[in-house]
Amino acid sequence: MKILHGTWIPAAEADFIQAGAFYLWVETTETAGKPSKTASSHPRQLTKASLAEFLATELGIKSGTSTTHQPPQLEILPQYFLLPTIADQPLPSLELARYLETELPETFDWQYWQVDCYKTTALVKIGSFHHASVNNVIKVLNELHFLTLHQLADVQLGADLLFWYHYTQAFKQVIVRDRYIPAFKYRLLATPKTSRAAKSTAKSATRAKKSTASPSTPPPEFELYAAWEIVSQQYEAEIEQYAEVMPLVCAAGFAAPPDKPQLHDKATLLRHFSECLLTELVTHSPSTAAFDKKVADSLLELCLSPQHSATPNRAAETLEWYQQWKIWRDRIHRSQAEMPFHLCFQLKSPDQPEELWTLEFQVAAKHDPSLRIALLDYWRMRSPQQKQFHKEFGKDFEPVLLMNLGYAARIYSALWAGLDTDQPISISLTADDAATFLKETAWVLEEAGYKVIVPAWWTPKGWQRAKIRLKASGRKLGGNDKSKSYFSFDTLVDYQYELSIGGEAVSEQEWQQLVNAKSSLVQFRGQWMELDPDKMQQMLEFWKKHKQEHPEMGLLDFIKLTATGEDGFEFEVDHDKTLTEMMSRLNDKSALEVLPEPQPFNGTLREYQKRGVSWLHYLESLGLNGCLADDMGMGKSAQVIARLVQEREAGETLPTLLIAPTSVVGNWQKEIEKFAPQLRSHIHHGSDRVQDGKEFNAIVQNCDVLITSFSLVRRDEKLLGDIHWHRIVIDEAQNIKNPKAAQTKAILKLSAAHRLALTGTPVENRLLDLWSIFNFLNPGYLGKEAYFRKSFEIPIQKNNQLTRSTVLKKLVEPFILRRVKTDPAIIQDLPDKVEQKLFCNLTKEQASLYEATVKDVEKKLNETEGIQRKGLILATLLKLKQICNHPRQFLQDNSDFTPERSHKLERLTEMAAEAMEAGESMLVFTQFTEIGESLEKYLRHLHYKTYYLHGGTNRVKRETMIADFQDPETEPSVFILSLKAGGVGITLTKANHVFHFDRWWNPAVENQATDRAFRIGQKKNVFVHKFVAIGTLEERIDQMIEDKKKLAGAIVGSDESWLTELDNESFKKLIALNKKAVME
Amino acid sequence: MSTFSRTWWGQKFIDALESFTDSGRLSRGRSYARGSKVKSFEIKDGIVTAKVRGSVNPYFGVYKEPLYTTVVEIQPISAAKWAAAIALIASKASYISKLLLNEMPDTIEDAFLTLKLNLLPRKRSEFKTSCSCPDYGDPCKHVAGVCYLLAAEFDRDPFLVFELRGLSKTALQAELAKSPLGIALSAQLSTQATSSAPIESYYTTPQAIALPSQTSLKEFWQSPKRFSALPEPSTQITVPAILIKKQGDAPSFWGKDTSFIGTMEELYERVKTKNRDVID
Repeated sequence: MKILHGTWIPAAEADFIQAGAFYLWVETTETAGKPSKTASSHPRQLTKASLAEFLATELGIKSGTSTTHQPPQLEILPQYFLLPTIADQPLPSLELARYLETELPETFDWQYWQVDCYKTTALVKIGSFHHASVNNVIKVLNELHFLTLHQLADVQLGADLLFWYHYTQAFKQVIVRDRYIPAFKYRLLATPKTSRAAKSTAKSATRAKKSTASPSTPPPEFELYAAWEIVSQQYEAEIEQYAEVMPLVCAAGFAAPPDKPQLHDKATLLRHFSECLLTELVTHSPSTAAFDKKVADSLLELCLSPQHSATPNRAAETLEWYQQWKIWRDRIHRSQAEMPFHLCFQLKSPDQPEELWTLEFQVAAKHDPSLRIALLDYWRMRSPQQKQFHKEFGKDFEPVLLMNLGYAARIYSALWAGLDTDQPISISLTADDAATFLKETAWVLEEAGYKVIVPAWWTPKGWQRAKIRLKASGRKLGGNDKSKSYFSFDTLVDYQYELSIGGEAVSEQEWQQLVNAKSSLVQFRGQWMELDPDKMQQMLEFWKKHKQEHPEMGLLDFIKLTATGEDGFEFEVDHDKTLTEMMSRLNDKSALEVLPEPQPFNGTLREYQKRGVSWLHYLESLGLNGCLADDMGMGKSAQVIARLVQEREAGETLPTLLIAPTSVVGNWQKEIEKFAPQLRSHIHHGSDRVQDGKEFNAIVQNCDVLITSFSLVRRDEKLLGDIHWHRIVIDEAQNIKNPKAAQTKAILKLSAAHRLALTGTPVENRLLDLWSIFNFLNPGYLGKEAYFRKSFEIPIQKNNQLTRSTVLKKLVEPFILRRVKTDPAIIQDLPDKVEQKLFCNLTKEQASLYEATVKDVEKKLNETEGIQRKGLILATLLKLKQICNHPRQFLQDNSDFTPERSHKLERLTEMAAEAMEAGESMLVFTQFTEIGESLEKYLRHLHYKTYYLHGGTNRVKRETMIADFQDPETEPSVFILSLKAGGVGITLTKANHVFHFDRWWNPAVENQATDRAFRIGQKKNVFVHKFVAIGTLEERIDQMIEDKKKLAGAIVGSDESWLTELDNESFKKLIALNKKAVME
Repeated sequence: MSTFSRTWWGQKFIDALESFTDSGRLSRGRSYARGSKVKSFEIKDGIVTAKVRGSVNPYFGVYKEPLYTTVVEIQPISAAKWAAAIALIASKASYISKLLLNEMPDTIEDAFLTLKLNLLPRKRSEFKTSCSCPDYGDPCKHVAGVCYLLAAEFDRDPFLVFELRGLSKTALQAELAKSPLGIALSAQLSTQATSSAPIESYYTTPQAIALPSQTSLKEFWQSPKRFSALPEPSTQITVPAILIKKQGDAPSFWGKDTSFIGTMEELYERVKTKNRDVID
């Protein structure tokens, strides 16, 4: 694992002009092999050569441009960081610590460590023949953030770089929005030293005497430097905000190690960075001879040239410039500074189209913008009223008002006309002027800090009134003809193009008239609107080309067309009743008609689950495939099973193929047995599975659900591919995210009438996963992968383009049903505590260990008696439970603690991933210390934040862990607790998932543990997941607990001792292994 | 300095001068003004007094570089008429706003015209000039030179025109204070020009601070805030160079004939587009 770090480091020499650079470095899990040259060299860093190699190969940071023959070397320089240190070793960063075995100490020392750093620069062409290296940190951080978030798994961005990424993105606004001005820095030199006079010769001494004798003081010695200055209130506010959240490590980098431990002050460091970066960017912007000429012999020439801004200027002419500039600059600052009120302009449309428009001047109090008063009313006030008014709007109201009206008029000169009076109130505008005002001036005035109030119809919707309308009607083929069911799924849409304005169809003639009208602001059918004649002309052409068509298309294509448009036009869609209904149900799932609970169904569906089943039904009836993406724990499997029951109720008989991760295959069967025992399920798994086509076909014909695992689809591609399935369900659909993987390809080849994907991870954040799922559901709908990347992933996730994500949302929304637990509508639907069992099979290894143990015990059982027998039974129970958890626990051989050896662990891994991704914290209870330890280490290596509380944890540590875990600013984490130590007295309400990795005989103990999360202060629903190993004593214990719930008090005892009372046969039955439950 | 004035009022003043002065003296006057021959320049009580270096001219018996005293006066407007004029000015917000922005309102002469006056001198008779040089012609090149510089001063401070017309700054403020709008301008006029502000370093110096005691590992390595959401993208359309637009197209330090705002707009645009490689 590699953690990317970096920060801004000011140059060592604190000269008048103190430069700086942004440096990146890499912290690794591996320590450098050989002892480093210098004692203070950081041992866990990528040093020069490997850093360059890593940057080039992994991150694509290569040196220079291709214009030079000799590619320049990356600038890698040693820098110094003040780091927490213990025993002469720097402590790892918290990100890295998760991958190391070390325990982090509470107390530590500080020391400077030398680290090889890459200076972020890019070679930029600044003239015809000149190149300069320019700090490209904004770009580098944006790319690293994107890479580490979406592509690189074993490289992580440290919190320091994450901070800088966010800061640089915010800072970019200064450049994008022109929030800086040319400037001068005036440096006063120390007045001529007396020592200089003393040293001078006698001759000059007399002259010096003369000058000192005259009372007029000599002009101060000064130096002027051309510079750039940031002027932005937003920037000032951001410096404060970001200084608050900057990790200290960002302020701990030095070009040369200081004598004593120190840091940079955060706010001044941010300013230094921002100013250096801005100056570097501006002074190194490539120019042309023509532009150089435009600024020649002006202040701008000085400011733009890197040489000039670095050299002092003492010319008298420059001093004059400075003084003039200073007045100008102060005025800019004053116009930016706090004004007690806003100057507002309200555009009002006339009653009659031929009348003039009015732009009214108003003022609004800054502290209460709703307090808006037209100047007309102000001038009419009597003096006492005005005095009262000045209390709200400032006593300098009139001068400030006039000054700002003047400033506004400088920007929009039409305003001068309104100022030809002693009481300015408004100006009048023609329709054309009003159109220009709406489209251009309003923005300019807003940007300049004035408030502009436009007519209510002037909205994004309002200014795109003219549209091509897609008049569409839905048509369903096949009707209810069951025999043709395969062909009835394609819902067809008939469509026709129309010209439309404001939702009303318009004739070609009317349209043409509007195109011919010169003004873009027109009153059409009694309403003012803005129309773009050019665009309307293009639409007209499009319409003419297509008007004769009366085509039809599939519903899927139709949804795509309305989301993305065609030929650059967005369409307004006019649905007929059928389609309106269809689309509204698809887009707003709460509009779905909720079907009654299917029968027979062994359980109760919650309201949202019923809606889910109805949605599945509706989607499939339209011939569409969707993704059920409810949050983990909300019962996706119950909904799928209910759908199966529902279609059987309607007469469907063909089987569904269910593909799931191996770890949940058994659980699926258990759930089916629980909710719908009448459904015939078959697990296609293991070496003894049917491989003969005919035989397999017979099985398929005789079952309702065939359950198999992802890996088997690949192996039995032919066998499964020969069947035309009624439906394919993919559980944990993120498993097909790699389109190149053989198993994904095999799944895509399977044929089925319906496809359904299930996932609990928020797909909308991982766009490539989303694409993969859609590639399964509706191949081609989101385009090829490369196209999707180019037109959605990169624009959305790297360039933050809202418009693209809106289009994508429109495309996928009808096909995804995702309910989250935090949704208030769901919360009231859910009990505070939702319990579910997680049935897992044993792996082959576990099974053989289990079997051997059982065999051994059976033999011994007959030979022992009394206390010995009791001992044997208890020891056996212990051993078997250990095996069910993980072979390593039983073998105690320090072998690998891998998920391949235990489906329980595999399942926990998958669910932890889902929980973490959804930002939820979880508790994991176990009764075994060794499992707790192994789990903690294992989960930590998956880079989750973990805590482990056991009997040996001291009180102080326990308190800190709990406080840290509960802290809302801590990322979602996993808290592992031993059942005994963590069962009472503590509150861990941040968790909303509780896992019981192994089972306890007494449900009261388990419940007490569960209640750590389920306590006062818990605002979320708590999901309790209890692991049960199928076909083992765990399943039987679980059964007993369930029975016990029914027959209260029938089985007594809070521990296992009562089991020793069982006779041999009963005990054997209890522990026997059901071999069918084994899964490879 | 390519042209002496870039404002309409400065230009109008020059036009007047040029209408009654011969071209030879004018061109010499321009080079006097450009060549820093005007040693000192003082305006007091509406009278401009300048010291101008003359040239050695044996023909006129001048053998040593002389220093002439040149005086320029403009015919004053009477106090009573001023009162009426200011009242007119203070009746229009556009005048006051423009003056607040340090510009001469472009229709100000209309106000003076209603009083049968003109603010900027137009005729020879409105100029009263004298010079200690031996030139028989009046205005001489020295007077012309001083007038050109005067026009440049008008650009910088339009209120100087009022002063030369006999209305001192204090009198102007007193007159302004008589009307509500005038008060606004009067208040602004009394604010002092800002002085130089020396600084210690070119960039803000990163201050060194002592290591806070009892820093925890978490505080050191991590931010107290979790950055989860991407920064809000800006959907706003940006208006170029808006920051400097309010201050007008001809700030006094911009000695060029081209548009300052136009140049800055291009500069801002270049910074954005030409740096895509390093910021996007």
